[in-house]
Amino acid sequence: MKTFTHTPQTSSVLPETAPRAFGKIPVNPFSTRLTRPGQIASLNCGGHFLNPNDLIDRLQFLGGTAVIQGPHGSGKTTLLMHLSHELASRGDLVACVRLRSSRDALVVFRSIIRSRPGTTLCLDSWEQAGFMLRKIIWLAVTVRRCGLLVTCHRPTTMPVLMQCQTSPLLLKRIVEQLPNHEQRRSSLIHEADIQDAFLKCGGNIRESLYDLYDRFEQRVRLHPHTRT
Amino acid sequence: MSQSNQALVGSPTVSVHFDHSHRLYEPQARLTVRYSIDGIADDERVRAVELSVLWYTEGKGEEDLGVHFFERMTDRERLPPAVTVGSFVSSLPLSPLSYEGLIVKVRWCVRVRLFFTDGRDFVSEHVFELGEIPPAQTKPDGPAIVSV
Amino acid sequence: MRLPRFFGKKRGHRRTGSQAWGSFGEGLFYCVLLVAGLGFAGLLLSGAAAPEWRVNHEFLETPCTIIGKGLARYASQEADSAGSFTNKWQPCLRLRYRVAGALHESWSTALPRSSRADRPTAIAQLAAWRLNDELTCWYDPADPNSVVLERGYNWWLWLLMLLLPGALIVFGGSGLVQAIRVWGKSEEHRAASAGLPEMLDPMDHSPSEAPDHPGVPICDDLINSPGTILRYRLPIESPESWTLLGLGLFAMLWNAVVIVLAVGAGLDLLGGTIDWLLFALLVPFVVVGIASVCVFLRGLILATAVGTTQLEISAHPLRPGEQYDVLLGQGGSGTFRTLTMTLELVEQATFRQGTDTRTEQVVVWKEQVNAWHDIHLVPNARFESRVRIFIPHDAMHSFTSEHNAVNWRIVVHGSPERWPAFSRIFPLIVFPSQIAPLASKDRSHRSRQEGVL
Repeated sequence: MKTFTHTPQTSSVLPETAPRAFGKIPVNPFSTRLTRPGQIASLNCGGHFLNPNDLIDRLQFLGGTAVIQGPHGSGKTTLLMHLSHELASRGDLVACVRLRSSRDALVVFRSIIRSRPGTTLCLDSWEQAGFMLRKIIWLAVTVRRCGLLVTCHRPTTMPVLMQCQTSPLLLKRIVEQLPNHEQRRSSLIHEADIQDAFLKCGGNIRESLYDLYDRFEQRVRLHPHTRT
Repeated sequence: MSQSNQALVGSPTVSVHFDHSHRLYEPQARLTVRYSIDGIADDERVRAVELSVLWYTEGKGEEDLGVHFFERMTDRERLPPAVTVGSFVSSLPLSPLSYEGLIVKVRWCVRVRLFFTDGRDFVSEHVFELGEIPPAQTKPDGPAIVSV
Repeated sequence: MRLPRFFGKKRGHRRTGSQAWGSFGEGLFYCVLLVAGLGFAGLLLSGAAAPEWRVNHEFLETPCTIIGKGLARYASQEADSAGSFTNKWQPCLRLRYRVAGALHESWSTALPRSSRADRPTAIAQLAAWRLNDELTCWYDPADPNSVVLERGYNWWLWLLMLLLPGALIVFGGSGLVQAIRVWGKSEEHRAASAGLPEMLDPMDHSPSEAPDHPGVPICDDLINSPGTILRYRLPIESPESWTLLGLGLFAMLWNAVVIVLAVGAGLDLLGGTIDWLLFALLVPFVVVGIASVCVFLRGLILATAVGTTQLEISAHPLRPGEQYDVLLGQGGSGTFRTLTMTLELVEQATFRQGTDTRTEQVVVWKEQVNAWHDIHLVPNARFESRVRIFIPHDAMHSFTSEHNAVNWRIVVHGSPERWPAFSRIFPLIVFPSQIAPLASKDRSHRSRQEGVL
């Protein structure tokens, strides 16, 4: 079942890295463990924090059904995760499911069956569901009087809750959220790297983070003085 | 002895003591861990404590994990606030060894997870090393990366 | 007993929501599927399969005489073009036969080669039967008035019975077991739970591990082929083989479709009718079909012209700090400008991002074992050379998990003079140190190599 789980780690504190005989290799802050959706707070294109409460209020204003739209790697899934946590804290979340295969459709319908009126179902990758499945899900949530919040790459007929866009500033702010950022800032990843990664990856934040991962790995090995 | 602490303001603190210096262990070595739990508020009650020794992967792939040792304590006489210190021993396996690769890393750790009666849980993680595999190196012009 | 709360308080980054109630709901869902599958299977068995089985195993054979013909009327379930429901007619015969000396007369509707149809068709079907004809029939000993003229199995019915309820039972049952296993358990507890057979968790993609070596892949597939000179022959893991196989299958299937379409078009043409749509469709299909055959043949020629590459090794699995003999054999004909053998360590990581699965491979360590130049090959004789490989004493062992891997391999790269260059990959398994290999190995510290042609 592709529901999101939030492993309650000790927040921004990294697991300690044991001293090594070959020099202490620091944890790469760009590893997927630390940058996966849900680990980083949602930011808008200008690099400002998005208030989940405001977005939930807007969702209700839109009638409970909306789409988070944007290109690949623009933070849709991250935002969906944060909103689903906020909905859960209010007791208004049905489930948060990532649509990857037909098996996930069963998970979706199971969730709808046990839902309460007024709650919201969050679905990631709405375009993965075929035309008929989308219609059936829509009908099911309507019958159950639930809301529907989805992410999609392409425009849909649903009202838009948030149009996700990326910018170099957004990437910079994301990097600043990563663990031990201040320790590494002056020695390994510079602002020019962030700009370069953003341009090289065509504005795709996810790919940019992969690119920064590679740069960090190379430099931490080539420059022993950066090891702690 | 090697000690590691993890603390966050307003949250429990778990201290873990390893019996080997530098937390470096050989395969099939005996791992002895002493832990202590502090900082639990008076109005909070722990209903279970889980101790585990596991490896996990880190890097550019999905995180995988394998549990080598696991113990769950629910007996109130063995939980905080009655008991705030404890220890366990585990014989480490032959593999997988700790590895600092470029896109795949293998790390070993001890996890102490506290479950509270109000439904929340708190986890504390303390890394140690199994084996002495040196980090993978890169060439000056970078590794040959192929996306499949 | 205190029931779990539906939702907990939210403090910082801690998780809210009740795992226990979620697991209960999930278990209930799978339970419903399981019950539905069992119910469906029961209905099919009792309503269709069981009667059919009884006809074939318990009915008794006896001669009979046709004494009457008739039509049974059934109300149709489908509306015609005018929207009205018409009747369907089933031909039936009245039969006279003996059961334990007593005379019985009964109608049989299960006639061979007949089905429900409109009235004229049903009457035409009846014409095949004549009064007073002697036939063989089978009657139910529990109810002698129930008689049939044909026995056998509807295999499609049995397939339907297995597939639909079977899928529900398997899915519901496995999900229910899994839900029970992970009920209220933490991530570590779930991972530490004793493993049930993998068939109960069909979504478990964990690779097989070597005994007593968690995370190290098994090497059974690499040691099941003995070598002619050295201990083992290594299997090849080369994308070109799979590509060629895929091309061949595609060409075969595609051209089968083309042939069917062409035959249909040809028959129409012979009959004096031309289906322009079919012809228009046929043109691109034929083009693709011919192209696929050409591409496949080209690949096949390349693969066979270059010749096979074989590697044998003196022991497996390998261990850090040890040396091993490797025998390279290269077949084919013509001249090879270069032939190189390298030993590599590759990391592989898979991450599911959004709607895509992203797999990345990095060669983190590479050492050229040997290189040969200007090799002249003749048919029926292959180039052979014996070299030695050394696994560094501090090398990482082979590692595999569901999404990540560290793999050792030998790569043979060839540059024939008249053909495109190729790379052939031979996977290796390196165990951690202190593990005894399955065969003896040469502990000489000097590298030697011999060339044999």
